[in-house]
Amino acid sequence: MPELSRRDFFKLITTVLLTISGALGIGALIRFLNYQTEPPVKTEFDIGPMENYPIGSRSLVPDVPAVLIHSQTGFTALSLVCTHLGCTVMQQDYGFGCPCHGSRYDANGNVLRGPAQNPLRSLRVEITADQHLILRTD
Amino acid sequence: MKRLIALGSAILLFAIVAAWWMNSRQPKPIVLIPTLTGKPEYCLTCHSDLPQISPSHPVKTFGCVICHGGVALALNADLAHSTLRGGANPSDLSVVQENCGGSNCHSGGAADNNNHIQRVMTSVQSTYAGAITNILYTFGAESDLTARFGIRAESDNQITTTTGVPVLQAFDPAKQTNPLIQKFAVNCLFCHINAQPLPGPQFDRLTGCAACHTPNVASYPQGQIHELTTDIPYTQCNTCHNRGNYDLQTMTFLQRTDQPQPDNRLQNYYQPIAQFTKCEYELDCIDCHTRIEAMGDGDIHSNEADIQYIQCKTCHGTPTQLPLTKTLTDPNDIAFRQAQLNPVVDLQLGDTILVTEKGEPLWNTRLLPDGTYQLVGKATGQVFTIPPVMGSGCTQNGTDQSSAYCHACHSVQR
Repeated sequence: MPELSRRDFFKLITTVLLTISGALGIGALIRFLNYQTEPPVKTEFDIGPMENYPIGSRSLVPDVPAVLIHSQTGFTALSLVCTHLGCTVMQQDYGFGCPCHGSRYDANGNVLRGPAQNPLRSLRVEITADQHLILRTD
Repeated sequence: MKRLIALGSAILLFAIVAAWWMNSRQPKPIVLIPTLTGKPEYCLTCHSDLPQISPSHPVKTFGCVICHGGVALALNADLAHSTLRGGANPSDLSVVQENCGGSNCHSGGAADNNNHIQRVMTSVQSTYAGAITNILYTFGAESDLTARFGIRAESDNQITTTTGVPVLQAFDPAKQTNPLIQKFAVNCLFCHINAQPLPGPQFDRLTGCAACHTPNVASYPQGQIHELTTDIPYTQCNTCHNRGNYDLQTMTFLQRTDQPQPDNRLQNYYQPIAQFTKCEYELDCIDCHTRIEAMGDGDIHSNEADIQYIQCKTCHGTPTQLPLTKTLTDPNDIAFRQAQLNPVVDLQLGDTILVTEKGEPLWNTRLLPDGTYQLVGKATGQVFTIPPVMGSGCTQNGTDQSSAYCHACHSVQR
């Protein structure tokens, strides 16, 4: 085996170091370019087949959060986000109550007691081709 | 030259490996997107073990940054905390407006009873104007007892009471020549809600809103204080009140020598020399003293007496008059919101409760069907019956409500 000259030794070391650095750098670049920002807030919720919600039912959908109402006239939905500061309201005998600051709404979402000033927001309900219900919060 | 290039390559590789290593040490973030802001925060990555601060401030709704500041997406503690407002206590009065204010929060209008910050900033407990004014008057530095100085400059352009003053200048002891006033400045200016407390567990409290609304701070493990409540026990009030006396001759604060004893209200409540009645030590301070008295009415006052107005007759009436009451007919009555914040009573429309002469509801009281009055302790939940003076054997002059007058018959011997 020929003896490695001092010059070649430094050349070899430099090549190895730069190759590893380059590989790590490219890895970092790929990682940077593939960085996933936080996903946008979900605004579309598939809440399952419409047959799960018979006429006359009022169903809580905690993930949204919302209450789905199926009346003779069709499906409607109310957001359960309090219009005061955004806490989740709870179902009560009078309708809905906010555990944070005491706002009260009737069963249709109208304000019974402040500090909330506005009624609970109505959400759009869509029916897909395969008869699934989609709630939209946007 | 080759050697230098090799050295440079080694340094470059070291830097890249170090960067990878530091990056790999960062925790996997726990993302919270509060309903109120809709902006992601990583604070729970490290602080998920903190208890929720109060039912009115759920973390899912408020998040952390809106109240505390900080860098929402930082995973390094130093960076994340670099822009905290008020350090660990966002309710300190120096930052409270930024942290707790806002028209939907605690800087709303007086009509909505939401002007909490404005009221606290101008309150006697915050300005310390009462003590400063009295000392300046006592030692001849002022000609009357109208407040002109407070702990900090304060102004009020909407005076609603006859005792309100429009402006306070910041009290500057350096401008005083009387040595006793200067001694007052050295020894006594810690006695307001934004001052750091004296050392000792009996004085242990935070500053600003948390001075009252975060009780029992000594009972929390280090760094775990995360509570706001309207359920404030007398022991919290005692971290400032009833802890000693001022000696005007030496202008020093003389601490009580009897230390607080757990569960001994009679021992703890008032100083040994004080006269007090049974209800004064059985009840907590907040059972009688209203939020207007404690937090102010929005006016700057010259002393405590201008704002503290609850008397024995507020609850007990006089020989010729029953206490004032009000039947709740408006679902938006402030009484309901107060009862909701500290649900020791299930207040209903149609209930009749006691009210003060200013119309403030004593929402923890109720007129019972048999004509008697009931009070539920806000901090204890204990139920008390309030005996009216009218129809009793009491022969008091109903117009005299001074402390000494009622205590002449009703004081408790300790």
